[in-house]
Amino acid sequence: MRRSSNPILIFLLLAIGLLFSSCKSSGPSAQGPIQVTDKQGQTFSLLAPAQRVVSLAPGNTEILYAIGAGSQVVGRDSYSDYPAEVTAVPDVSGGFGDLNTETIFSLKPDLVLVSELTPPEKVKALQDLKLKVFSLANPTDFEGMYKNMEIVAKLTGHETETSALIEKSRARVAAVLKKIAQTTKHPSVFYELDGTDPNAPWTPGPGTFVATLIDMAGGKNLGDILSSAWAQISLEELISKNPDIILIGDATWGGVTLQSVKERSGWNALGAIKNNAIYTFDDNLVSRPGPRLVDGLEAMAKLLHPELFQ
Amino acid sequence: MHLKTRPYLISFALLLLAFVLSVAIGPVFIPPGILLRVLTGAFPGILVPPGLQETFSTIVFSIRLPHAILILLSGAALAGSGAVYQGVFRNPLADPYIIGVASGAGLGAVIAMAIPWPNSFLGLYAVPVAAFLGATLTIAVVYALARVGSSLPTTTLILAGVAVSAFATSLTSFLMLRSNNELRRAIGWLLGGSVMSGWEPVLAMLPYVTLGLGALLISGHALNVLQFGEEQAQQLGLPTERVKAILILAASLTTAAAVAFTGVIGFIGLIVPHLVRMVWGHDYKRLIPLSIIGGGTALLLADLLARVVIAPQVLPVGIVTALVGAPFFLWVLRHAKNQAYW
Repeated sequence: MRRSSNPILIFLLLAIGLLFSSCKSSGPSAQGPIQVTDKQGQTFSLLAPAQRVVSLAPGNTEILYAIGAGSQVVGRDSYSDYPAEVTAVPDVSGGFGDLNTETIFSLKPDLVLVSELTPPEKVKALQDLKLKVFSLANPTDFEGMYKNMEIVAKLTGHETETSALIEKSRARVAAVLKKIAQTTKHPSVFYELDGTDPNAPWTPGPGTFVATLIDMAGGKNLGDILSSAWAQISLEELISKNPDIILIGDATWGGVTLQSVKERSGWNALGAIKNNAIYTFDDNLVSRPGPRLVDGLEAMAKLLHPELFQ
Repeated sequence: MHLKTRPYLISFALLLLAFVLSVAIGPVFIPPGILLRVLTGAFPGILVPPGLQETFSTIVFSIRLPHAILILLSGAALAGSGAVYQGVFRNPLADPYIIGVASGAGLGAVIAMAIPWPNSFLGLYAVPVAAFLGATLTIAVVYALARVGSSLPTTTLILAGVAVSAFATSLTSFLMLRSNNELRRAIGWLLGGSVMSGWEPVLAMLPYVTLGLGALLISGHALNVLQFGEEQAQQLGLPTERVKAILILAASLTTAAAVAFTGVIGFIGLIVPHLVRMVWGHDYKRLIPLSIIGGGTALLLADLLARVVIAPQVLPVGIVTALVGAPFFLWVLRHAKNQAYW
């Protein structure tokens, strides 16, 4: 008995040792006139502004186009569908969130812009091919989003346009906040991300950008009572919390309509359904960390406080 | 002699064909002539547009070759272990995941994905390391739970494996729902759709697969004897318990290494040994090497299908192995000369 428990241990130790022995680190190089810093504080540099950019997240793509770098985009992921002209750019997705390394490489990009959601395996595969890969941090507020815009501007050589755009965005956000400050009414808002299971729809929890936007637009995110950033809430809990307003974000990808929500069994117990305080909301305006978040804030504020935006 | 070597020749020819196809076909079209030149090393005197050659050789050497080798190793590991598990348990339903390797690896991988690693280097290697640890720990737990005195009853082992698997799987699902990260990476991994790229996973996997498959390859005779039943085998002079322990550990370790770098790929480990049995019979001395070669071939072909069927999109290879493998398997089952072959 005692004898046979040892081989397992030895196997395990051997196994761990071997696995680690094959991992080696590759240090980053910091040289070149264009330098930016990533979320981990690592310096990333380019010799010249990137002219062939592959963008692997819809938020990144929207930033590139908004700052005037659209003509430099040579590849995109399949979720990048805004502005409409980007759909003419080759799609390099492998499907199911996968990326086609080979296609990306054959486009000969001088910059690959990924997001925190890009699987690290894929990032490494691209780096192994000596491609320049930069990961934009997922912002938690507007300032973080502006910072991303500035980084992309530096990497693509569009700094002047970008600072003007950021200026304008700041002014628009400030205008909304000023209006919202006039009211003391803060309706509670239920934002539906996915109602595939109508008895337990998915909703954004605390700390998400959607929650922040609802708060800035003068509402209270009902999902703040939950503990995960993305979570399911039971219909019973929803009925007992009885939100003032229901926003249907999943109408964006089709299938769900206001009518279908009203017809869900049990949902007629909700005050918002009885009062017809239920609206569809373009989820792309709040889920993509790009310049359209400002549009999202404005649209949200107008929905929650129409009286302030006559 | 002629009849003895023929199965090997056929298997190797198929493997070679699958390997060449796998390297030749991809989203970027490489003209066969150029592919040949890239592979054989540039012949002097043949003009190739500069720059183009470099792109092609990078694609072939840094993307396609390591990918094909990793897939080959993984398929070989899964089918080889599958054949051995079926022999040890004397159960046609046994597959490489029967005692919980897949669910343990899945749990490890999802834990590693849920942790917000301070830098991307850790985030990258944490997944295969955690998957491997999860798999080996699960085997250790199942093994310890199933042991009665100094013997290891097969039924207890399978039952312990099923229970521990179920536990690990639900814990994995719970973590996936609780984690704030996107689920696609985890789902892709669990469907066998996250084959790692580059040469490092190949190098990391090679020692396990060589060692593990080496041990399995020399076990043909022991497995043949074991087919008479454990008691009989014991009487025939086979140290049954020790043989079982070594084979289970070797097969599990091989599987764990495969799963760590390619995700959970199902079905290959179950059907390839059966296909070999149907065509070339039961002798484990032949069944194991032929399953190893056949596993590599089958997974290379499944992976090729996964890459071309809805190109440029790629299907997780784990979906293809069952989607295409199951009907093919049933077809062979209907047409096998020896209907009651098991």
